[in-house]
Amino acid sequence: MTSIIESGYEFWNPIIWLIAFAVVMVIVYFFRRQGQEKYKKGEAQAQIFLCGEEVPEAEQRQVRGGNAYWGFFETLKEYYGGIIRPHTGIVNDYVIWFIAVMAVSAVVLFIVELAK
Amino acid sequence: MMENLPGNFPFVAAVLLMGVALYILIFRRNLIKIVMGIAILSSSVNLFLVTLGYRAGGVAPIYTEAPEGPMVLPVVQALTLTNIVIAVATSALILSLVIRIYRHTGTLDSEKSRRMKG
Amino acid sequence: MATLIEHSSILIIAIPLLAAFLTPLIGMASKKARNVLVMASLAFVALLVFALARDVILNGIHVYTLGAASPGLTTPGGGVAPVRIILEVDAISIFMGITVALVSLVAAIYSLSAMKGETGQNRFYTLLLLMVGGIFGMVFTGDLFNLFVFLEITSISGAALIAFRTRSADSQEGGFKYIVVSAVASLMVLFAIGLLYAQYNSLNIGALAAAMQYTMLDKIALVILISAFAMKLGGVPMHMWLSDTYSVAPVSITVLLITASQASMYALTRTCFTLYGVTLDSAAVGWIIIAIGILSMFIGVTMAVRQTDITRLIAYNCVCESGFMLVGLGVGLAVLANPEALAAYGITAISGAIFHMINHALFEGLLFLAAGAIFYRIGTRDLNQMGGLGHTMKFTAILFLLGALASSGIPPFNGFASKILIYQSVYQFNPILTIIGILVSIITLAVFMKAFFAAFTGASLPQYKGTKEAPKTMIAAMTILAVIIIFFGLFPGLILDGIVRPAADALVDQSPYINAIMGAIP
Repeated sequence: MTSIIESGYEFWNPIIWLIAFAVVMVIVYFFRRQGQEKYKKGEAQAQIFLCGEEVPEAEQRQVRGGNAYWGFFETLKEYYGGIIRPHTGIVNDYVIWFIAVMAVSAVVLFIVELAK
Repeated sequence: MMENLPGNFPFVAAVLLMGVALYILIFRRNLIKIVMGIAILSSSVNLFLVTLGYRAGGVAPIYTEAPEGPMVLPVVQALTLTNIVIAVATSALILSLVIRIYRHTGTLDSEKSRRMKG
Repeated sequence: MATLIEHSSILIIAIPLLAAFLTPLIGMASKKARNVLVMASLAFVALLVFALARDVILNGIHVYTLGAASPGLTTPGGGVAPVRIILEVDAISIFMGITVALVSLVAAIYSLSAMKGETGQNRFYTLLLLMVGGIFGMVFTGDLFNLFVFLEITSISGAALIAFRTRSADSQEGGFKYIVVSAVASLMVLFAIGLLYAQYNSLNIGALAAAMQYTMLDKIALVILISAFAMKLGGVPMHMWLSDTYSVAPVSITVLLITASQASMYALTRTCFTLYGVTLDSAAVGWIIIAIGILSMFIGVTMAVRQTDITRLIAYNCVCESGFMLVGLGVGLAVLANPEALAAYGITAISGAIFHMINHALFEGLLFLAAGAIFYRIGTRDLNQMGGLGHTMKFTAILFLLGALASSGIPPFNGFASKILIYQSVYQFNPILTIIGILVSIITLAVFMKAFFAAFTGASLPQYKGTKEAPKTMIAAMTILAVIIIFFGLFPGLILDGIVRPAADALVDQSPYINAIMGAIP
């Protein structure tokens, strides 16, 4: 069959996944139909509600991309400090890393050869 | 190995040149010097390739009215010529980019002229 | 028709080069004629690639000797060594050729509207065709020095294309970094080729593979070749030029640069699997490549999640996906000497990595093209300034979301199919690698959710009032990629058995490659 990947322990058939997805979507649709019928767009129901505060302009209330995942970055502050420092952007450092990787892989290859 | 050092000296020279070129590429910040470092690296590889083809007492690898004796290898000479042409094209492109970087940022230092990092 | 297929490998390389030289001449006369020339040459080359693919997969390796009396005459006069430059197309070469053909066609269609109104378009299309010819040359050649020459052609034209918009300072810096990194890597590759030539007196990959004894100089050449090709494809810790370069180039060029990096990965596999084959110390070299792969996956994705520039974010994701491919290839290389493990999970790992190569070109291409459409409309790439674009740019939003889900490995798209092959096989080699891979995929989803929500959702901002949808040609180019992604996702078995498994089998066994050149010497 053209859809199936099957080798060893694995089995993946996207057609079966799509059928399962369609079944779940049908169930979701039936759940949605149980909801409220009295919904009018354009009235106070559809406006943003900030506990009675004034809603600021779109420009101020938009959550900018740079603020996402703040907690993740705060927890991993030391890791990020350590990993951003080598990313200097200077061309000379790019050549240093190339020589370093060549040296390390040469050493690894020769040590394994000697250990044999 | 040490007794044949005079015969192997061009190889040593090629590797020393490569060392000089890599030193320039690592430690010199001026963009023009980086371009020179790439040119010296190219020259060192060219010297290495031409030296590979040398045979002691060899003559030019031309069959028409060839004198007696071994001929030097012609393939490496073709590789070297191709590499020289490639180095010309690379140097022309890289120097024009350095001119543009100087016009935009006003400096030729590789640390001060970079605007992207992290 | 048969002669066309017989000569197709050299035609596929020659037609873009010839069209590149004709483009400025025709472009001086008429712009429409030039666009037609570019499109027609790339479409014809794609047709030739598909015809050659069918021939190679059905009939075996296709050899072409440049300048001989007949294309198959590799060793004339009954000699034992091959002469002349020989193009050798086996299943992995034609797989890369299919990738390049699809991607270059899409890039050219996208450039029709992305480059509209810019000056110097003649030079742009000339360089684009040169770069496409260079990448085809790199994947079809059977000769190491020819590989070096086409690598340099690709690098030089690529650097000129990155720095194409001379008004912006960042693109000049990106082009400079690309050409410095490429020049250093290529010159070290030439040094390694010189070392190999000195010992075996041949530049042909098949002849070198037959004569290879793993001496000290060969080990040095192997280390240089692996490091140089790993730098060209963006393996950590030599990956920092990639984010500087991919983010500032015109996005149709970034799509081609991704393909050039894939061609460097092809050269890496050619070196490790075919040139050295079973003579090298497969466990050590395999683990070196796995180490580079793991570092690339982890550092690539953690740096990606932090970026605020949308194309820089996608570029770091490219580093992460290259890591997946390197882990798959490294696992396959590490078990190369061990036949039961190879049959059990090694071939699956290599197949997963190869399948991921074409998937990577497709979904990263789609992401970059969508980000380029945003940049075309609003003029900035900063996520901190975007917002609410999904109200007007609906198609771009849907296509970006499609690319993002495919990249994170969400079913039923093609990223999931190749990633599950890699996970399953690598798990049997070492479970920790799979665990790191799954964690990295989750963080990849987080990266793209950040980009999607920042750019497309939210209320419409007043400064972007009146931005229209991206031009039709751009949407058409992105839709082609999306259709191929969905097709590969729904029918992965077809692609896997049709073009990926023959490629993996061709890599694992170097004998057909050698025999096609040297004749079947028992």
